[in-house]
Amino acid sequence: MTTLDTDVLVIGGGSTGAGVAWDSALRGLHVTLVDRQDFATGTSGRFHGLLHSGGRYAVKDPGSARECAAENRILRQVAADCIEDTGGLFVSTPEDDLEYADRFLAAARGAGMEVEEVPVGAALRDEPRLNPRIRRAFRVQDGSIDSWKMISALLRGAQAHGATVLPYHKVVKVIRQEDRVEGAVMEDQRTGEEVRVNAGCVVNAAGAWSGQVAELAGCEVGVRPGKGVMVAINHRLARAVLNRCHRPSDGDIIVPVRTVSVIGTTDHPVADPDDTECSPEEVHQMMEAGELLVPGFRESRALRVWSGSRPLLPRTQGSAGVGDREVSRSHTVLDHGARDGVEGLVTIAGGKFTTLRLMAEDTVDVVVRKLGRGAECRTRSEVLPGSESHHFYWIGNRQQEAEADPPDDPLICECELVSRHDLDTVVARRPNWRLDDIRRALRVGMGPCQGGFCAFRVAGMLHQDGRYGRAEANSALREFVQERWKGVKVISWGAQARQTRLDRWIFEGVYDLEHLPE
Amino acid sequence: MGTDAVVMGAGTAGMVAALRLAAAGASVLVLAEGEGGLPLAPAQIDVLGYRPQLVLDPLGELGGFLESRPDHPYRLVEAAEVEASLDWFLELAAPLGYTGSPRLNRLQPTALGALRPTCLVPQTMAAGDLRGGGSVLVVGLKGFRDFHAPLLAENLALARPPSGAEVRARAVEVSLLGDPRDLRPQLLVRRLEERPVLAELGREIRSRLEQEDLVGVPAVLGLERSHEVWQRLQELVGRPVFEIPTAPPSQPGQRLQQHLFRALRRLGGEVRLGARASGYRARGDRLAAVKVVTAAREVEIPAARFVLATGGIGTGGITAGPEGELREEVFGARVSRGGAPEEPLLEYLATQPLDRLGVEVDDEQRPLGGGGGVLFENLWAAGAALAGAEPWREKSGEGISLATGYRAARLAGGARP
Repeated sequence: MTTLDTDVLVIGGGSTGAGVAWDSALRGLHVTLVDRQDFATGTSGRFHGLLHSGGRYAVKDPGSARECAAENRILRQVAADCIEDTGGLFVSTPEDDLEYADRFLAAARGAGMEVEEVPVGAALRDEPRLNPRIRRAFRVQDGSIDSWKMISALLRGAQAHGATVLPYHKVVKVIRQEDRVEGAVMEDQRTGEEVRVNAGCVVNAAGAWSGQVAELAGCEVGVRPGKGVMVAINHRLARAVLNRCHRPSDGDIIVPVRTVSVIGTTDHPVADPDDTECSPEEVHQMMEAGELLVPGFRESRALRVWSGSRPLLPRTQGSAGVGDREVSRSHTVLDHGARDGVEGLVTIAGGKFTTLRLMAEDTVDVVVRKLGRGAECRTRSEVLPGSESHHFYWIGNRQQEAEADPPDDPLICECELVSRHDLDTVVARRPNWRLDDIRRALRVGMGPCQGGFCAFRVAGMLHQDGRYGRAEANSALREFVQERWKGVKVISWGAQARQTRLDRWIFEGVYDLEHLPE
Repeated sequence: MGTDAVVMGAGTAGMVAALRLAAAGASVLVLAEGEGGLPLAPAQIDVLGYRPQLVLDPLGELGGFLESRPDHPYRLVEAAEVEASLDWFLELAAPLGYTGSPRLNRLQPTALGALRPTCLVPQTMAAGDLRGGGSVLVVGLKGFRDFHAPLLAENLALARPPSGAEVRARAVEVSLLGDPRDLRPQLLVRRLEERPVLAELGREIRSRLEQEDLVGVPAVLGLERSHEVWQRLQELVGRPVFEIPTAPPSQPGQRLQQHLFRALRRLGGEVRLGARASGYRARGDRLAAVKVVTAAREVEIPAARFVLATGGIGTGGITAGPEGELREEVFGARVSRGGAPEEPLLEYLATQPLDRLGVEVDDEQRPLGGGGGVLFENLWAAGAALAGAEPWREKSGEGISLATGYRAARLAGGARP
């Protein structure tokens, strides 16, 4: 068993954990971050991609709105490469109370948001597919944020400051000496090997799974996973994020992300955060809900459906770190020393993607206090790798890059304009890539064909390069096809049903994947 | 004036029905929205490959297969007629050198290196039957994204045909003249029709040969002049050469499509693409005309007999709505799931809800209406439009299209009485 010593062991490679790793590393602490899977595979990789302006929380959760507004501004400064500056609109549809719009405007201003009411005609000129029957419209600073890019940038930044990151390392044991947590033992999910990490402080950043991690240390964290369903539509229906101006409910946000639009979401309590099954009814509900914002939405081509589990923390949770926060979508740092008499363990619970930086700052402040060393937080101004030019990404970026590419750099994914060079660059970053990891890194297989054409290409290329053995390439392909099926199997209508048939023809008819040797 | 027969759909089933009707003296018009599946298909003629165990003798095992799958479209056709349709096809496709027998499955490598059962193959693939084993040099082309020789060869070397014979395979990768990268099959077929490029490829392969007695290449050996390209490459290499089908678009599929289109034109028939049948006019229990939307207006095309060969969900003959409603697009014929489950299964490679979808027909292949009766006395369905088959899993698609297209033409009769 390998043993590593570190100042801070971060459990969870989602936005929270990656943020904590970046923050700690900048403060001069040695960080080791582990995740049971690839990074950004939990809730962070399974949300709608909305960089909140705060508008969604303005009325019912002003604390969260204020945090979102402030963090949104900071992220635009330090992580431009991960953000598309789409802007956002809150619109009063015929079903929304106009009186709410007044409250919204006042609350948004109160929360420090940049908000302006725009004439309905102007909103409709900007967004021709928007419901022409809207009655009021407010422009806000929503954006879309690429979670995979963001988490990758945070981790690369942390690594550049000495951090160690270990994907596919599942915590099997939290090492506890009497009243003190001293580290953890991880099992490499690919090789079965165990790694022991001795840490000055362990940060439980497992989000919706943080209850499971805390349990290993004999503590309890009352996180309640709340499942939200999202559906990706095959093109951009709007330039800006479209929000219904009403009390937040299901299916009232449409976010333009990369080549698609994502509609979300729902909120159902689930017992197990790994319960990500989506029913045809939930998809149907989203398609119907979209009609209010974009008439004809139900006729659009749904590409894929997925769900994620929010790490909701009921208000009654005690906390000794940053103090109680009043509201449920905000976050809480739980110092298990003060709370449960178990030293060396801190849980960061609740929160949301947009406030990941603040969550990390609050958490590492507690860690620094416990370790008795570590500098001031620097994440407010430190620019993330890739964002040095401060240019936001935009939908034409990849086309622009592809056109600038040398002609001998073939495209391997036409849907998402991924070139061979892009693939080579990403796989050089670390060993042991699954096709699904490459998908998150490059969006290969996320377009209309859902991997029908490109999955075989990538598997074949990685095999040819010696990164995959034969059996590995076969199982990588099988696994990827199976994984993609999860998100399309309930979309059995329209053009995507037709696409599914073509993909099946390719895999069964042309390649005969079913009868490949193991 | 007018047309004896209108066939909707220009895939294998539609073209077979059209050719048979035309050969019997009918004037035939094929209407198709798009080009259908033919130019995407590997152009191997599958009859029955898995039931689910490997099928060695497709015709001989058809009866046993139908016992387990009584709703399968093969139930509609006597084995003798299946055989007759394949014999007819062999003759029709003789210029492409189709070879094989419905009584014997060949085992041909796929682009992933699985040994795949199929019955008839064009001459350019004929040497790739590895039933009796063999030693293959798999040749990849540098820059061609849809063919990865090392993975293919390594998988192929593990394949075990039922004969127990050994398959050996080794991969090499060669560059075409000037090393053109980002090669797409549409471009490669043109390049290989250039003699210097082909000569260079041949020399390169020959220099890389060791003990192998066969050479497998991606299926891009020319389009219009594929026979010549293939033959010349064999001469240059000094070993039998065979093509291995790749992902769509398929060059062998386009060769077959062009061949079928030409054959119909020679018989006086016409293929009209971009002509989507959008409705119909009935007279009593007979179909009088189909309506087609053209650029400017909807036109009626009257005929005495009609064949529906628009395929299933994959080609748009049948559509599925968000509420689960299934619709045959031209006539609203009754659609059946063919015994597939209502809810999707988690396991991808299982029978899924849309896998066996198609129209329901009577014993004479006439689509049924909502009430369960025959829709029209003079409308017959064929091919992938029929419910009950899983063509890609069981490797049966072309056989069904040939047999039911052939039979539909017989049932529809020849020229106008």
